[in-house]
Amino acid sequence: MTADVNQFPALDKTKFEQRGIEFKLGIPVTTAVSVGNSIAVGFGDGSVRIFTSGQSSDAIKAHKGIVLCMSKDGNHILTGGDDGRFLKISLDGVVKEIGNFGTRWVDNVTANNGSLVCSSGKIVYLWSPNNKEPKLFEHNSTVGGIAFDTKGKRLAVSRYDGVTLWKKDYTKKWVSSNLIWKGSHNKVSFSPDGKYLVTSMQENAIRCWRLKDKIDFAMSGYDRKIKSFAFVGETSYLATSGALGMGVAAAICWPFDGEGPMGRQPTCISYTGNNEVTVVEPFPSENAIFAGLSDGSVFLSEIENKNNTIIIRSFTGSEVSAIAVTDDSSSILIGDMNGNILWTSIWDK
Amino acid sequence: MENKHQVPVTVLTGFLGAGKTTLLNRILTEQHGQKYAVIVNEFGEQGIDNDLVVDADEEVFEMNNGCICCTVRGDLIRILSGLMKRADKLDAIIVETTGLADPAPVAQTFFVDQDVANKTKLDAIVTVADAVHLSSQIEDHHEAEEQIAFGDVILLNKIDLVKDEVIDVVTKRIRKINPFAKIIKTTKCGAPLKEILNLDAFSLKRILEVEPDFLDSDHDHEHDDDITSLSFVSNTPLNMEKFQDWFGKLLQTKGQDILRTKGILDFKDQNDRYVFQGVHMLMDASPMGKWPEGKERSSRLVFIGRNLESMNLKEGFENCKSA
Repeated sequence: MTADVNQFPALDKTKFEQRGIEFKLGIPVTTAVSVGNSIAVGFGDGSVRIFTSGQSSDAIKAHKGIVLCMSKDGNHILTGGDDGRFLKISLDGVVKEIGNFGTRWVDNVTANNGSLVCSSGKIVYLWSPNNKEPKLFEHNSTVGGIAFDTKGKRLAVSRYDGVTLWKKDYTKKWVSSNLIWKGSHNKVSFSPDGKYLVTSMQENAIRCWRLKDKIDFAMSGYDRKIKSFAFVGETSYLATSGALGMGVAAAICWPFDGEGPMGRQPTCISYTGNNEVTVVEPFPSENAIFAGLSDGSVFLSEIENKNNTIIIRSFTGSEVSAIAVTDDSSSILIGDMNGNILWTSIWDK
Repeated sequence: MENKHQVPVTVLTGFLGAGKTTLLNRILTEQHGQKYAVIVNEFGEQGIDNDLVVDADEEVFEMNNGCICCTVRGDLIRILSGLMKRADKLDAIIVETTGLADPAPVAQTFFVDQDVANKTKLDAIVTVADAVHLSSQIEDHHEAEEQIAFGDVILLNKIDLVKDEVIDVVTKRIRKINPFAKIIKTTKCGAPLKEILNLDAFSLKRILEVEPDFLDSDHDHEHDDDITSLSFVSNTPLNMEKFQDWFGKLLQTKGQDILRTKGILDFKDQNDRYVFQGVHMLMDASPMGKWPEGKERSSRLVFIGRNLESMNLKEGFENCKSA
């Protein structure tokens, strides 16, 4: 792991920082999502701001306390908060309440083929375009994460002791099956080809199911809980946070092409310093990832040519909490827990 | 290194009807000038002032870490991690557990999850006990007994409804189960909040200050309580290797029955005093500086648990003394 550590000279500001625009808002950034060429950012005071071409909108008062989660729905965003509200917000700041669950948090939000979906407690709620009342999907324990496959046909809900997989049968009725593994499952995602399902667990491991035969296996060996993971690129790697060693942080990337990750070695992209990778974000259409670290620095690395790593943002001293890339891959926004935001163009002019 | 500010978390436990809701209402409505978050199960009321009420389901799961009794609360990990993203910082977090809950999974959550341990700290377990009904509750429900065993502070509530003799009997009974809890006698949970919150009872430093309050000569065998406590003192320094070997095996094999442990240890050829405290199999231990000058060095060890008599604790401890 130490042989191919990426080392960098101490820089005051990277060229990305020099040509970018920095905001010091002093409010923790909790989440960021791209909508067209804008990026919506959620904060730890319940507000949302829309960033476009390096300009910030006024703060949109969305939630009372914390924006816990955010997702895109066409040219709108969906947010869930610690005030128990599920909101749909337009880019010009019009807020519409979809659901309200009082003292129970809204932990996950997503959109699927015109439906609006959120989880609060043990229940997933789905509002179809033509129905006023949501369809309820109930589970035995609090929902960790929700995900639709790329076609939007199957809904995976992670929870204690595994995942509930929902799909419509031939009568268009939702039916469920279970993928079982003991323990607490947090975030969940389908692989882009829909063949695999992965969850991050409380126990410093990723659990993976091959859906055609429900064979399951662990991807383990992590030092920390995996806070962030994402499928990246055309050959499809699963990039994960959670690995660190003596003076080295790493993003671990598992191959999902061909026969899948079983029995294969992951690629390990390492960064020096006593830090942890806190956010991994794919670089759309490239086999490359942005990795945000606990000291505020952000790197861009090609997975198959990991020596090709560049530093986007240098040390700020505050944990990177969100990274988003505009839909045309021209600009990136980076946010941290102290409310520092960098907007910069990715390509040299 | 970043400045490690940890928000204190108080666990509020107590059997059904003991007065937990009364205490929660007080915390939420009193003018205390502090910002608290209260994590509750099905609580009807909204927070007043700036306080924050969060609804949770008391959900425990077993960690796949080879530790047979290591159940933790996943919902608490999720909510505490979320609360740490708030722009305005909380002065304290209070976790209410239901009347029939075992306090151990809540405490264990703070040992198991790194993010929770980095940003919050277990402050104290506060148990509300009903002076009228505690004796019968202990006999009928092991949960009531466990809640007493785990308490750092025990609010002996509703003392206006019983005679002084009854209070004495109940107090002795509590002491027998838990010799180091602070007992506060109250009506309508009317203790000052500063005696309940922000106590730092789980810090190793505090263990140095706590003198277990044993009822030495006063062994009444009227009640044969399931959970008891045992303590040991030695003025002979201990052999570190022998102690680690004995104590490690003990927690591994009997950790389910040992609810809480605390101790200060004097090891041979070591200048520092060693302090530890544990919940079931999980333990927090550290050297805590030199022994105070002019004071006699000694090792003290307290166990609270079930079937302690069967564990040959005295013999095991004696064997750890350095030759």
